[in-house]
Amino acid sequence: MATVSFAGTTRYYAGNPVPAVDGLDLEVADGEFLVLVGPSGCGKSTTLRMLAGLEGVDGGTIHIGERDVTDLPPKERDIAMVFQNYALYPHMTVGENIGFHLKIAKMAKSERESRVREAAALLGLTDYLDRKPAKLSGGQRQRVAMGRAIVRSPQVFCMDEPLSNLDAKLRVQTRTQIASLQRRLGVTTIYVTHDQVEAMTMGDRVAVLKDGLLQQCDTPIGLFGKPANLFVAGFIGSPAMNLIVGTVSGESAEVDGSAIPLTPAQRAALTSEAVVVGVRPEGWEIKAPGDGIPATVEVVEELGSDQYLYCSTSTSRVSVDGGAPEPIAVRAPGMSPWQRGEKLGLVPVPGAVHLFDAATGARLPD
Amino acid sequence: MTSTVDERLGGPVRKPPRKPKPAPTARGFSPLRALGMAVVWLFTALNVLVLYWLVMAAFKSPIEIFTKPFALPSYWIERGQAFRNLAYAWNNAGFGRAFVITVVLVAVSSVAIVLLAAPAAYALTRLGVRGANGLTNFVAIGMGIPFQTVVIPLFIGMAELDLTNNLFGLFLIYVALSLPFTVFLLTGFFRSLPDELEEAAAIDGASPARTFFTIMLPLARGGLITALILNAIGLWNETLLSIVFLNENANFTLARALFAFNSAASYQSEYGGLVAGVAIVVLPMLVLYVLLARRIITGLTLGAGK
Repeated sequence: MATVSFAGTTRYYAGNPVPAVDGLDLEVADGEFLVLVGPSGCGKSTTLRMLAGLEGVDGGTIHIGERDVTDLPPKERDIAMVFQNYALYPHMTVGENIGFHLKIAKMAKSERESRVREAAALLGLTDYLDRKPAKLSGGQRQRVAMGRAIVRSPQVFCMDEPLSNLDAKLRVQTRTQIASLQRRLGVTTIYVTHDQVEAMTMGDRVAVLKDGLLQQCDTPIGLFGKPANLFVAGFIGSPAMNLIVGTVSGESAEVDGSAIPLTPAQRAALTSEAVVVGVRPEGWEIKAPGDGIPATVEVVEELGSDQYLYCSTSTSRVSVDGGAPEPIAVRAPGMSPWQRGEKLGLVPVPGAVHLFDAATGARLPD
Repeated sequence: MTSTVDERLGGPVRKPPRKPKPAPTARGFSPLRALGMAVVWLFTALNVLVLYWLVMAAFKSPIEIFTKPFALPSYWIERGQAFRNLAYAWNNAGFGRAFVITVVLVAVSSVAIVLLAAPAAYALTRLGVRGANGLTNFVAIGMGIPFQTVVIPLFIGMAELDLTNNLFGLFLIYVALSLPFTVFLLTGFFRSLPDELEEAAAIDGASPARTFFTIMLPLARGGLITALILNAIGLWNETLLSIVFLNENANFTLARALFAFNSAASYQSEYGGLVAGVAIVVLPMLVLYVLLARRIITGLTLGAGK
């Protein structure tokens, strides 16, 4: 058990002047489950691989507990890693795979076998100990990879998208299993994923990265409730937060004829006249046409428990990932009678509005 | 309406088609496909014919060989001496001793080649050695030099070292000349193995040497066996070097002995015996290949990943 701390950790790749991870400062508490999330190429895997010792560190340091591990080889770091494609040794049985580290560590055979059996029992793999990985299903292979990590009782678990090769149903099941297993074992865990649902459901805290820079690190609730900037606002939450461009006039921000009040602190923090108003799909109140922002329903997505209306408006919107701005998403109760082409008015629920500086992308003070 | 399981079990027995219908892309006549099939079958037929002729001729009298080349042998079989040609070749060509020498020389050389080439290929592809790509290309250049062009300088050099007419000298030459190809073959093989396995081994605490021997080598078994067999076949058939470097009967390899036997047997018009000699040299490699062909083809990385 140990803390993990990154201090100014930087990694360059050959032939690229832009660092893959740039001056990362991050403290992970003892026993914490920290999720690194971000779009592909954001540096999350590189961060994990630097911690595991599979990647060099060009600047800054990494500590596990009190030890500076920046330049230590992987085997001296006391970590275990679960790979995206599991990286099981295909010529060894499940038992040999799980026990490989213990064998290298020259543990006595009897103790090794009992530890392997213990780990296998924990993961429901006891019946498969003599099988080769090729004879296992995807979910079983994933569990073997977990077993290989658990059996070592390391100080830190590193997990690199361990669920991305499973089908949707199994992924949801395994997600819960991994999270509860981690809490039971109490081992500090760094978990990389590109799936924000995984990040939100599993992590004690979630660190959002983009272009090698840490955007925000907070609890799932903090991330969802108070995104620090436009990127986090658009990245966390599904469907994504609606980001609408407004202009400041006097004491409020103007969005398509509707006024959203600004506090003096917010006005002071603004660097220009442009402000971005963020409202989550569930943050809208649906009114009659003529009230609030006029909108037309384009697509109705019925999920049973909820319904999402995708509406076109005349507002201009911000797209975080650079693509065309999406229509405004509005959550309505499931089985609502909305039809394509219907007109309605949208008013943000008080308290559900997030305000950002359009120029810098930073969140305005509340 | 969808049928329930019960309905399907109770209903009339459904007969699947004897041969599943091919995908629409595979149907229809394609000139290229027809030509390809014709060439493949022609090539196969030609090879089988040559093999048939060889095996049959090994049991025939010289007259039969020339007058009835594709008939079944009868002359020696009627006289109750079916294996007379094989016995003749074995006894007169000195094949007994040559066979032992060849088996040992080929086995030791092939194993030595793979033992040297595998770690070299591993280091060139997986250890991130500086200039590894250049070095790999340098090794590959060795394949581009026909060994016939270096026979004379090689002979002079070996003579200085007193290693001509010496099986150990021939062993050194065989290993040296086979390394470029084998290293090149194995670099391709090691390159195809997944990186994560090495990383997993590194995290499990295995040293590079241990990773090589316990993880990568077993995974590369298919490649190593391929390299072993290809080298064994090549060296088994090798004739030119053994003619140049060996000049004492006591040291002759099979190919060299066959070469000597060729002149003697044709002088005596002993064509049955000559063909039998050829069969003795050729068939063991054919058997080896048939036995191990599947091992060459089957990969072993199955199940490593997803």
